[in-house]
Amino acid sequence: MDIFINLLLLVISTAFINNFVLKYFVGICPFLGVSKKISTAFGMGCAVTFVMGIAAFLSWTFTFFILRPEAPLPAWVWAQCGGDPATKVDLSILSYLVFIFVIASSVQFVEMYVRKFFPSLYKAFGVFLPLITTNCAILFACLEILKQLQDPTNLWGLHEALAYSLAGGIGFTVAISIMAGIREELEMCDIPTQLRGVGIALLTAAVLAMAFMGFAGVDKGLEKAMMPKTTAAVETSAETLEKAGEAPVEAVR
Amino acid sequence: MTPFTITVLVAVGVMLTLAVVMSWILGWANVAFRVEVDPKVAEISAVLPGANCGACGFAGCNEYAAQLVAGTAPCGACTQCNAEKNQRIAQILGVAAAETFPYKAVVHCMANDAQRIDRREYTGERTCAAANLVSGVQGCTYGCLGFGDCERSCKYGGIRVVNGLATVYYDKCVGCKACEAACPRHIISIIPFKKSRVLVVACSNRDIGPDVRGVCKVGCIGCGACSRRDSAFQMAENLPTIDYDAFGEDDAHLVTVEKCPANMLVYVGEPTAQDIAATQDEPLPKVVQADFKTTVDQTKWRG
Repeated sequence: MDIFINLLLLVISTAFINNFVLKYFVGICPFLGVSKKISTAFGMGCAVTFVMGIAAFLSWTFTFFILRPEAPLPAWVWAQCGGDPATKVDLSILSYLVFIFVIASSVQFVEMYVRKFFPSLYKAFGVFLPLITTNCAILFACLEILKQLQDPTNLWGLHEALAYSLAGGIGFTVAISIMAGIREELEMCDIPTQLRGVGIALLTAAVLAMAFMGFAGVDKGLEKAMMPKTTAAVETSAETLEKAGEAPVEAVR
Repeated sequence: MTPFTITVLVAVGVMLTLAVVMSWILGWANVAFRVEVDPKVAEISAVLPGANCGACGFAGCNEYAAQLVAGTAPCGACTQCNAEKNQRIAQILGVAAAETFPYKAVVHCMANDAQRIDRREYTGERTCAAANLVSGVQGCTYGCLGFGDCERSCKYGGIRVVNGLATVYYDKCVGCKACEAACPRHIISIIPFKKSRVLVVACSNRDIGPDVRGVCKVGCIGCGACSRRDSAFQMAENLPTIDYDAFGEDDAHLVTVEKCPANMLVYVGEPTAQDIAATQDEPLPKVVQADFKTTVDQTKWRG
């Protein structure tokens, strides 16, 4: 049961409290660029969630087996060459290259697949897919997973990586849909000339980000409600949660 | 072997393997998931102008080509295509082409700054849309304001304000209707050019004769001489309109044009041989050479 509650808390923490767009300011380009109509914004959000899931799966796999300091593949090669097992062969330097490479080609593959077998789906969000390939929110999620896998005390499993990335995508969808709703209403408002366009969009985003800060602490409350356990258990899960919630700040710097 | 060498070797190996595997997968997918596009779409796209102006009502030329092949779009909706191009599209589609004409913009006003009466100084925003909201900018409340909303709306440089009057450059106009939508006084309309030159009623004033004369030196006084003489002209609200379906050969309306007391019926479009002959002795305007000495070069940087 614990694992599900932890996952749920991770999802809520990622989607709302540590929203990718509104707290870490990644994925701003589609957030401002494709948020003029609710329907397209929602399509963009769904596409981002989808790509982020694929990217998280691939980046977790590559990181776990190849890129992290304790990864089996470089360690095996090192052992074959008769090296000292105490020395680690760390391939983390490859992370950016591998992530971008893998994300771009997998998205390209998915695009071809969707175009062949789901033409209507391709028409609906196929055009967004190539755009998302270089979206910084995707790379942010991948690097976040890499960071969790470099830390042996709190190693993320595949399920956690997937939950994290999907929740990040859901958070993005929520943020961009709310933004699109506000901007649709703003079309009818009398905005001072100097603020029209990007100016009012950025102001709206700022107010929206501040509003989302109101979610802070929701995870603690939920945790208290869902875990009527011993104090020790509560404390450990609170620690994991804080790591999941607070750690990414340093990743952005 | 040092850990450094191993790291480099493994890194190179991983990247090479990834590259080979991924390109193999993508190459296989490219063949396996190939989508058969009707070759007609590409053929028609090549014939269409590719300007994506949107006058046909579809999102770009490629979309229009796809809809044409699917049979959901009418042949000849493109305003930029001439008869020859429409014929070729019809040939590709295997249907008979209807007779179509290029559509171009005409301005229903011919008064320049000097010919308008009661023009006053206007210090507001320099757009027709703004000037149209206040009264008293000029006497004629129907005619061209000359602040160039149409000029700014045109992506092709096909309409410009000359001497305070919007003037269409027919070698550039593609009939995309942008200026028609931009004009707050609705004096621009898009008409079929059956010939290279067509007749236009160059006035929009719907008042009676004396009132028109009070605000404009060249306006249409609504005498109706043209409609009595020629069935292609109908009078409505003191202003003739031309039925372009009934518009005939070049010389068919010449008498009507000469009888118009205010000379309000003008030919627009390509210049005729006589026009060119009449103006060939005039000196050409001096060719303006670009001066590459920009102001940046002369800027003295301070601070």
